[in-house]
Amino acid sequence: MATDVIEQVRAWLLARNPEVTGIGWDEDLIDSRLIDSLDFPHLLLLLEELAGRELELTPENVVGFRTLRGIRDTVLADATGAGAVSHE
Amino acid sequence: MDTTDVVETLDNLVADATDHHYSPYTRFDWVDELAEEQWWMTPDLLTVAGTRHARELDEKQLMRLSKWESINFFSLNIHGIRELLIEVTRRIHTRGFELPSEFFHRFLGEENGHMWFFAQFCLRYGGKIYPDKSLPVATPEEDAAVANFLVFARILIFEELVDHFNIRMGRDTTLHPLIREVNQVHHDDEWRHIIMGRKLVGLLYEPLRERGDQELRERLDVYLRRYITASVQSLYNPAVYRDAGVPEAFAFREELLRDPARAAYHETFFKRITRFLVSQDIITASPFQEAAA
Ligand SMILES: [Fe+2]
Ligand SMILES: [Fe+2]
Repeated sequence: MATDVIEQVRAWLLARNPEVTGIGWDEDLIDSRLIDSLDFPHLLLLLEELAGRELELTPENVVGFRTLRGIRDTVLADATGAGAVSHE
Repeated sequence: MDTTDVVETLDNLVADATDHHYSPYTRFDWVDELAEEQWWMTPDLLTVAGTRHARELDEKQLMRLSKWESINFFSLNIHGIRELLIEVTRRIHTRGFELPSEFFHRFLGEENGHMWFFAQFCLRYGGKIYPDKSLPVATPEEDAAVANFLVFARILIFEELVDHFNIRMGRDTTLHPLIREVNQVHHDDEWRHIIMGRKLVGLLYEPLRERGDQELRERLDVYLRRYITASVQSLYNPAVYRDAGVPEAFAFREELLRDPARAAYHETFFKRITRFLVSQDIITASPFQEAAA
């Protein structure tokens, strides 16, 4: 389920920010410094792994990558559904 | 500030760039194809070097990996050049950059050529350019002096990493002549950029040092060491491993990055620039020291 997948993202972010105890659905991951431009490629690769496909990143769609809700509802919306295109 | 020394360096670099000017569009003999089964990259520069995978994969698999790692390496160059073209273009002929502007013209011209021949290589022999994984809208640095310093520090670090690879592949006689040549031609321009980059980074750091703001200096130190680490991590691309037929590409990447044998390689890639930044008191230590210990 998409819920399990998003929990993996949350756990990954929390592991990188040991001083943080929780991340809200609408918290901006960049503004709140949970992730910065140097960490971002790492997050993107994790999301690609969870999505099972390469993700296109554009100035227009980047907003969807900035909150857990955006990641769950847009980036990983079809992560475990039939729509996901496998890498293999 | 005494700029005599900088002016002299700039004059020499501009003169050298003029003497060695060439057209990137006619410089290479693009062969019709490059066979997959050959070394596209010096084996010791592959991300698996020193790990059990370098021993367990057979030569054919390693060669296939070398193909996609070389396409990734040139793709990273393309994206790195895009950033530096944007940032240098923003600054050329603006206040504070009067001195290097003549050099910037050469720099921009040369980098445009580099981007073109790297893209040619990727598209002709790999059929693609690996996409950029960086954040399209980075958080802007509001302090202009800090922003200027960071832009040129990032460019220098990136060029030093690339140059390490170019130097080694330019003289590796086991590689196809075209692959050697692309690396060599790039190196022949880059040494000028690196000399200028060091001067600029030193000059732009001075006023920051003089502020006596320890917190700022620590922030820059941490940032640059993280930038070096992030640069080396960009060499490890799951899409490359997938193209090379490695199963579980993401886990493979994580495993390689955790492998203690890799720290010494990373140290070597950045030895020159780390030594420079430490000697200038810009960073406190190599970012790989902890990992290697
Ligand atoms: Fe270049
Ligand atoms: Fe350059």
